Amino acid sequence: MMVKTMKLRRITAILTAKALSFFCKIAGRQGVTMAGRIALRIDPDILKDLAAQVREKIFVVCGTNGKTTTNNLLCSAVESEGKKLICNHTGSNMLAGVAAAFVLGAKWNGKLDADYACIEIDEASTVRVFPHFTPDYMVLTNLFRDQLDRYGEIDITMDLLDRAMKMAPDMTVIVNADDALSAYLAIESGNKYVTYGISEKVFDEQNIREIREGRFCKRCGERLEYDFYHYSQIGVYHCPECGFSRPAVNFDASHIHMSNGLEFDVEGRHIAADYRGFYNIYNILAAYSAARTAGMELKRFDRVLQNFNPQNGRNEAFSINGNKVLLNLAKNPAGFNQNISSVMEDPNEKDLIIVINDNAQDGTDISWLWDVDFDRFAADNIRSITVSGIRCQDMRLRLKYVDIAADLIGDVRTAIEKSLKNGCGNLYVLVNYTALYSTHTILKDMEGKA
Amino acid sequence: MKITIGHLYPDLLNLYGDRGNIQCMKKRCEWRGIEAEVKEFQLTDAIDFSSLDIVLLGGGSDREQMLVCDQLKTIQKDFKEYVEDNGVVIAVCGGYQLLGHYYDTSEGRIEGLSLVDLYTEQGSPRLISNIVIENEAFPYPIVGFENHGGRTFINGNKALGKVSFGYGNNGQDKEEGVMYKNVIGTYLHGPLLPKNPHVCDHLLARALAKKYGRAELEPLDDAQEKEANEYIVHRFTKS
Repeated sequence: MMVKTMKLRRITAILTAKALSFFCKIAGRQGVTMAGRIALRIDPDILKDLAAQVREKIFVVCGTNGKTTTNNLLCSAVESEGKKLICNHTGSNMLAGVAAAFVLGAKWNGKLDADYACIEIDEASTVRVFPHFTPDYMVLTNLFRDQLDRYGEIDITMDLLDRAMKMAPDMTVIVNADDALSAYLAIESGNKYVTYGISEKVFDEQNIREIREGRFCKRCGERLEYDFYHYSQIGVYHCPECGFSRPAVNFDASHIHMSNGLEFDVEGRHIAADYRGFYNIYNILAAYSAARTAGMELKRFDRVLQNFNPQNGRNEAFSINGNKVLLNLAKNPAGFNQNISSVMEDPNEKDLIIVINDNAQDGTDISWLWDVDFDRFAADNIRSITVSGIRCQDMRLRLKYVDIAADLIGDVRTAIEKSLKNGCGNLYVLVNYTALYSTHTILKDMEGKA
Repeated sequence: MKITIGHLYPDLLNLYGDRGNIQCMKKRCEWRGIEAEVKEFQLTDAIDFSSLDIVLLGGGSDREQMLVCDQLKTIQKDFKEYVEDNGVVIAVCGGYQLLGHYYDTSEGRIEGLSLVDLYTEQGSPRLISNIVIENEAFPYPIVGFENHGGRTFINGNKALGKVSFGYGNNGQDKEEGVMYKNVIGTYLHGPLLPKNPHVCDHLLARALAKKYGRAELEPLDDAQEKEANEYIVHRFTKS
């Protein structure tokens, strides 16, 4: 009788979640999180049981920036090995979103047919997810200041990740060696860890003004010394006091070229991808290192990169009436500075829209806008800048204080229409988190009608 | 005319867009034809307070404040003289807490500078909110964002404003910040000054008055600043 009730509860949870997600999709909203929440409420053990059915390994991807791209690349890499997997493609990465990925991927009878799971998890949610399952691997991309109002301070995020690692002592951490904060966590955790990084100096010019997190040794408090920076606090460092230093790198990307897409060598292989943005080298390298650490050969990794279409507005291209529109997510200073670099890599004339919201998921504190180097937009080939979104006034003010004039149009669709009408045919739209989905929908719609 | 702004320990105390406060003071000088120089001081640098017209002490995490507070003892005497001599100080978040006698945390006591008679105790939960405060001396409200675990008590000193939305110093007495001589301490970031040009100009005027004996500031077109300010006032206090 007990077993029957449990089974019935499981089926109810799955069907309700699937129905909910279906109707939400029709209604044009992302119902993923709500579907997961309801499934967990009906059946609190559902995530635990479904995750236990994964036949081989479970990966989780954490870190401030690059989670979604890294995880989606990792999924494609795993699939290229002929494996079936569960993942949260949409980037819903708190407990409910993680649960939804499993529930919506299960059959109605509660059976899960998956060799692997590749799940991105919001750093602060790891301690809520790990009681349901402990992963075999955690990819830790980087730690930057992000949404300080939600997590308080970066130290708090690090404490949570430390707790999560201790909850999963058998988990191997695949960590970005070039980020002193992430590397410190992995080294001190006691977990087994594998590193990836870039040991060669890529940029001649070092932006000394960029806000850098963790310039001070987490172990002893002394100022870290850097041989060079790649961006933000990412680089090659050591502590002159206590001996803490960048760990030996297992997967080292060398011969970096960015003139024609992205190219680098790792493990004697040449990797080429038609993406823009230095940070994407780290995303590719992270996914590659994770799959290799799990023992995959990745013979078809070239094809994985060729076929990989950045989704969900991570450098996603649209064509609207012959206009090229590129949508990109930028939700914290490190990410925004990297996006500015990738916009400025395009030598052509361009128009720009910046959309800033302050909903709960964005972080209601938008003071980080002042830590972004917007003065770099004061260039001749930027024809116009339009600010939009809930906090467009703040964004306009931010630009005013670097002597850049901007048009203010609160409504995103109107802003896009006007920029296209008066623009030069090359439009960049930079948005923060909650503006992403709606802006994506608007651009898809406009592309469809064009 | 020239204003020299000393930015204390930007490496450690730079949590909530403090760069924006510096940029705001600098620009509002420059737009008026007043030269503005920013001097950044690292932890071990000697500071000649007599060469400074405004000192900015920004926000850092509790851990970073702990690192700073040892060093602060070495500059305490000079800093105190600067304040008593009507030197202008703007201290935000963690910097505000450091103005006082101490900040008691679960990890131990962070000794402050004792520049202003106030103290801070750690509380729970963190007080995180948009915030609107009012002070009759300013023509319109002061707006910002607060995010602090500490509860600050200002021992009868004058507050920067009365809270109309948000938590303020300690979430109890409806007061926010402190004004003592030419010192302003506050939990407001966002950053504070760009959306509150009246506060920025107050600091500049005080600094000019002290240095040159007169303080007329040429008015600027603050339409965009006021719009951003009004948006917050309207959204949180008029609905």
